[in-house]
Amino acid sequence: MIRTTARPLRVGAAVVGIAGTLTLAGCASATTSGSGSGTSDENAAATSGSSDASGSGAYKDGTYTAEGSYQTPESVETISVTVTLKDDVVTEVSINGSPTRAESQQYQSQFVGGISDAVVGKKIDTLSVSRVAGSSLTSGGFNKAIDEIKSEAAA
Amino acid sequence: MAPEADRAGDAWSFEAIGTRWQVETGEPLSEEAQREVRAIIDRFDAEWSRFRPDSLVSQLARGAGWVSAPADADTLLAVYADLSAATSGAVNPLIGDVLERRGYDSAYSFVDHGPVAAAKNWQEQVRATDGRLVLDPPATIDVGAIGKGRLVDLVLACVRRHVGGDIVVDASGDLAARGTAVRVALEHPYDTTRAVGVIELEDAALCASAVNRRVWGDGLHHVLDARTGAPVERFAATWAVASDALHADAIATALFFDGGPELAHAWGADWVRMTTDGRLQWAPDSKAELFT
Repeated sequence: MIRTTARPLRVGAAVVGIAGTLTLAGCASATTSGSGSGTSDENAAATSGSSDASGSGAYKDGTYTAEGSYQTPESVETISVTVTLKDDVVTEVSINGSPTRAESQQYQSQFVGGISDAVVGKKIDTLSVSRVAGSSLTSGGFNKAIDEIKSEAAA
Repeated sequence: MAPEADRAGDAWSFEAIGTRWQVETGEPLSEEAQREVRAIIDRFDAEWSRFRPDSLVSQLARGAGWVSAPADADTLLAVYADLSAATSGAVNPLIGDVLERRGYDSAYSFVDHGPVAAAKNWQEQVRATDGRLVLDPPATIDVGAIGKGRLVDLVLACVRRHVGGDIVVDASGDLAARGTAVRVALEHPYDTTRAVGVIELEDAALCASAVNRRVWGDGLHHVLDARTGAPVERFAATWAVASDALHADAIATALFFDGGPELAHAWGADWVRMTTDGRLQWAPDSKAELFT
């Protein structure tokens, strides 16, 4: 695939649940062949996916495929979008998406033993334990600096 | 914070690398042993701390290009390679630049300059080769994901050369025990007077990580996704048990991301984690006693 200056293409939230900004890689290829001119007109005025059928020819007819990624809190999901343009009109859109999400669900069962409801816990001083493990009480320096900032902010 | 020790013996407490250490032994540690422990910690800090301007990683960040490889370079980079692969790049030793940009810098400025991703191709950028630790182009290494775990192992090994019997090395959140089993409460990240469960440790290490303490700015904390520079939002706390603290620490970090449970499975590590909405998840066959 030949990357050219890309135009952002908005993918509606309905598609993957998250509106991701895709970069449309300008790989203009004839629908029947694997290679194409390798150019797209990045200066085109038409909005991606517009239905402007005036025939100004801002985009070359053809099928464009782009890989895009969007971010969920803990992962970056990749999707592939294929758009078919004819006379500057998107005639077809297909999306292959969310593979990681599907995998995530798989390993919920395989690598996670269980999931509870929200946990209140028990008072530590009622337990028979010799140690407590939480976040490290790290960084004297960190805490001191935070305290300083707080006191400055309060002054 | 920690309740009284329930085992007979000697406890030596001290502050180092900005955290509280406790070394519990059946018989008192000699002054010589204590000096050795302190020297091990000082050396590690002088090599790996990005908070010390004279450290090796600070020299590399300033553009030294290479330094004599510290003893742990190969070990740490190998574990980072596993972590990076397991989490699809969410864990990355060049996260230092991102942490600094977001305000967690050596001056503790806490001025956030926004999210940025860490170098994706870090394994080409940082290498341990021919006795050198090479970093080109310059970047800031941060071994926060596993460094303290490794140090706990080094301290435990040193203590074991001096005394036999039961030993616990506890570096506030990362601890390793040898001998008689130790019961450890898993501190609730939202109420530090409570525990969400108890894990019994026998000849093993337990590392915990949580986003509740090192917090600054607008929802910023020290666990950032290297791919985006954004703080993790799905998990609030993680606990991992492995045969050594290096691997327990690595799992505790990986558990903030997709791929963590899989790596724990591959390494045979037990674990528990809490989502930010207060739910617990745990390893299949987990031995933790959980208060769900």
